[in-house]
Amino acid sequence: MEAGAFEAAVAALAILLEPSRLMILGAGVLVGLTIGVIPGLGGIVGLALLLPFTFELDAYSAFAFLIGMGAVTTTSDTIPAVLFGVPGTTGSAATILDGHPLAKAGQAGRAFGAAYTASLLGGIAGAVLLAISIPVLRPVILYLGSPELLAICVFGLSMVAILSGKAPLKGMVAAGLGLLVAMVGSDPQTGTLRWTFGTLYLWEGLPLVPVTLGLFALPELADLAIARRSIGGGTRADTRSGQLAGVRDALEQWWLVLRCSWLGAALGAVPGMGAAVIDWLAYGHALKTEKNTERFGHGDIRGVIASESSNNAKEGGSLVPTIAFGVPGSASMAILLGAFMMHGLVPGPRMLTENLDVTYSIVWSIALANIIGAGLCLAFSNQLARVASIRIGLLLPVVLAVIFIGAFQGSRQWGDLYVLLGFGVFGWIMKRQGWPRPPLILGVVLGEIVERYLFISVGRYDWAWLTRPLVILFVTLAVVGLVGPLVKNLHSALTSAQPPRLGRPRLTASAAFTSVVIVALVAALDVLLGWNFEARIVPLTVTLIALTCGVTSLANDLFVRVQPAASDARVAPTDAPIIEGVRSLDLRSVLIRAGGFFGWCLAYLALAHLAGMLPAMLLFVAAFVRFWGRESIRSALLLAAGITAFSTLLFDQVLAIPWPQNILGTAFPALQPWLK
Amino acid sequence: MTTTRTPALAVRILLLALLTTGASAAADEVSDFYAGKQVRLLIGYSAGGGYDTYARLLSRHLGKHIPGNPTVVPQNMPGAGSLRMANFLYNVAPKDGTVIGTFGRGIAMEPLLSGVGTQFDARKFSWLGSLNNEVSLCVAWHESGVKTMQDLQTQELIVGGTGSGSDTVIFPIVVRNLLGADIRLISGYPGGNDVLLAMERGEVDGRCGWSYSSLSSTRGDWLEQGRITILTQLALAKHPDLSGYPIITDFADSENELEAMEIIFSRQVMGRPYLAPPGIPAERLQALRRALDSVARDPEFLSDAGQLQLEVNPVSGEDVDALLARIYGASDAAIELAASAIRDSDGG
Repeated sequence: MEAGAFEAAVAALAILLEPSRLMILGAGVLVGLTIGVIPGLGGIVGLALLLPFTFELDAYSAFAFLIGMGAVTTTSDTIPAVLFGVPGTTGSAATILDGHPLAKAGQAGRAFGAAYTASLLGGIAGAVLLAISIPVLRPVILYLGSPELLAICVFGLSMVAILSGKAPLKGMVAAGLGLLVAMVGSDPQTGTLRWTFGTLYLWEGLPLVPVTLGLFALPELADLAIARRSIGGGTRADTRSGQLAGVRDALEQWWLVLRCSWLGAALGAVPGMGAAVIDWLAYGHALKTEKNTERFGHGDIRGVIASESSNNAKEGGSLVPTIAFGVPGSASMAILLGAFMMHGLVPGPRMLTENLDVTYSIVWSIALANIIGAGLCLAFSNQLARVASIRIGLLLPVVLAVIFIGAFQGSRQWGDLYVLLGFGVFGWIMKRQGWPRPPLILGVVLGEIVERYLFISVGRYDWAWLTRPLVILFVTLAVVGLVGPLVKNLHSALTSAQPPRLGRPRLTASAAFTSVVIVALVAALDVLLGWNFEARIVPLTVTLIALTCGVTSLANDLFVRVQPAASDARVAPTDAPIIEGVRSLDLRSVLIRAGGFFGWCLAYLALAHLAGMLPAMLLFVAAFVRFWGRESIRSALLLAAGITAFSTLLFDQVLAIPWPQNILGTAFPALQPWLK
Repeated sequence: MTTTRTPALAVRILLLALLTTGASAAADEVSDFYAGKQVRLLIGYSAGGGYDTYARLLSRHLGKHIPGNPTVVPQNMPGAGSLRMANFLYNVAPKDGTVIGTFGRGIAMEPLLSGVGTQFDARKFSWLGSLNNEVSLCVAWHESGVKTMQDLQTQELIVGGTGSGSDTVIFPIVVRNLLGADIRLISGYPGGNDVLLAMERGEVDGRCGWSYSSLSSTRGDWLEQGRITILTQLALAKHPDLSGYPIITDFADSENELEAMEIIFSRQVMGRPYLAPPGIPAERLQALRRALDSVARDPEFLSDAGQLQLEVNPVSGEDVDALLARIYGASDAAIELAASAIRDSDGG
């Protein structure tokens, strides 16, 4: 059996190394890298698009193509994350935290070097884990029932504590808000329409893409607009030397890479876990286990390495349930499942026996794709690092315009753009008020699966599921992880040389924001009390916990005075710092400039409603470059025409987006073909 | 005899000539209209699911069969379990035959059974037909000890389901409510395959609402080796492969119950439905209907479908029209019974 497996592995490599197949794999990698760079487009879009082209290929080539594409979207998504603070896919939000500050300090090259190396090593580690676990895949997966999956998700959720840094209460509230966001829409148990406010848009819940882009990308861009400086801030970009330093960083941190990639691969096998949380869980793991973490969030290279190694390793893991049981671990795996069927391969035991060579060719495809992808990115990152020194007046409108269209890929409705803007404003305020944003996204992603598996576990086993050994293990770890930091924080605050004392109530901006959140929670509570028991129980519990934490936090804001020295230096801030150019401004100017920035975003939305998204893009970019950036008319027109032509080609021609209705097009149907 | 026959023949030939020129004039008009145009095929779901796979395959072949050979472009328009697309197709999409769509098989009965969020009259859509007349099954895992529907009168079967409103949730509730079967539904699994995995690991004992085509292509060995037992077929007519197994309508006790079953399981006939907005020009509707019929016989299409393991068992647009007319004409008592049968009265 062992020898057979080895032979199959070697045979699969030989098949894959045939020049024609290598070229197909390379083509897949190129498409994947392109998709990864563009915010809003992920592996799913690419797979759906490419699947028909694999009809004519043999199974090995087809998987080389599709997997080559899927495996590297999380390699190139680092580029916009580091440069602009914009996650290229939902899997690179955690990369922003340290990658973007590095770029602002002129170290984009180092961030790229470390990120690609970590991606490469992570991808390979994921493939290796998949390869060596093939013989035990089925028994392991069969052992993991719904209660175990629930416990793993709960454990993931407990990372909220470590990801909340110095603001544990606010982190809990943010996580609660995320969980509640996850519960918007038709409830899977009873079909109750939860917080849909009479709109069809909210029936399937809030799409992750505009939420992520709003929460992480818009606040970064708003701060760049407020500071009115290039990303590099005038520092000379490190190119070749920085890159090499980054590669060295990643190699020196091999143990961290290995831990985070195996974490990524293992979590990838949990259906529903997804790239959007795995990077954060790896980041949290690094924060928890590494020493000297005070620079995390300010440009610690280990933050980049943790996030990037885990999200590339995920691919290997999410193939496990797909190959062994035909249970797709993610939406892109569902499409891949279609490819299996197309080539007459039935996922299940036979993939691990008679079709073992195909399975191994998939493993090899992941490994080779990661090598080619990281190599290509490294080769071009020299040029890319220089983007950081481009004038912000030219760069910002283009990035914004692409984000608008990217966010629209969430569910292709106007609502996506409102969600983007809403979460953008909310995220920006959170960032300014020192509210940690990662717990919110953790809540959004894990909320749905936690509720599902909770109902299944209780419905099937009542409360007996709590006595299963793995459940006990993970739930204990979760409780320790959640309560530990809280207790430590409180203890260190009370026992420090200058313990916090109570003062007269003081109304600060932070307290005002907390109050707004509390009012929103009370309003949510008022609505949910009208639902039936099953639809209500989980959101009710979450709302009450969030309210308790919120009110405590408000009291803290109002009455407690903490000396700056009293905070624990070991607990690192886990959210991106406010950049230099913003900190030196007075509040009035900041608010005026922020208002200006979000005003431009609103203007785009209004234009898009009037004349369609692509004409709006043309006008928006031209006007922004000319009037905000004070660039020449020539540059404004050239840039606007260029990006609009590119978007038309990609989104209209290749992806065939159904464009939303607009006012002019409805009024003058003859114009409709031009107003998309 | 001959004297009477000759004019009749002449008249017939004349009529035939008139008809064919008339028909070919209409065909020319249709072909002129579609030549060089794009037909958008809207999919009410995001990429990756069954509806998406069928529609993308269809879009590769349909253009060849429409006069004028337009390009057919699939577009995903997800939202509200494809209800958004249904509302869009009915109220907003151009009514000229350049936009067609596919949505959930239960959508056409939604106005009758729930009416929440529906902004259309299902009978007024221009139905092109359905690519498959699905037969779904209730199956029990071999370790459950349940062998027949009768066993469920005395023995409990724990059945796994996905989301509220899906076949895997509605069908077991209907079987429980109409037949008094002792079914305990555990819903909330992310997808149908997750239910099968749960069955394999002993978390649930069965699945009600599993299309036979999917079963035979992915778990055919389970049936052959007796790892699962088919309890009943859920459809309006038996699958040709499964003539030995009972069908849900066999268990109806009254005319009323039979009618209610027809309302509920008519969605199976519209397994992979294709339709256009209401009121598109009649000759274009004809052309689109015939195009769908002929795609379903096209050997290239069938070979691709076979490769993807997609079952093709077409139903014409006229048949869908007739079915909807019958269902919407059902007695109030039957509609009331159907609406209450799909409701989870058990509360859990």
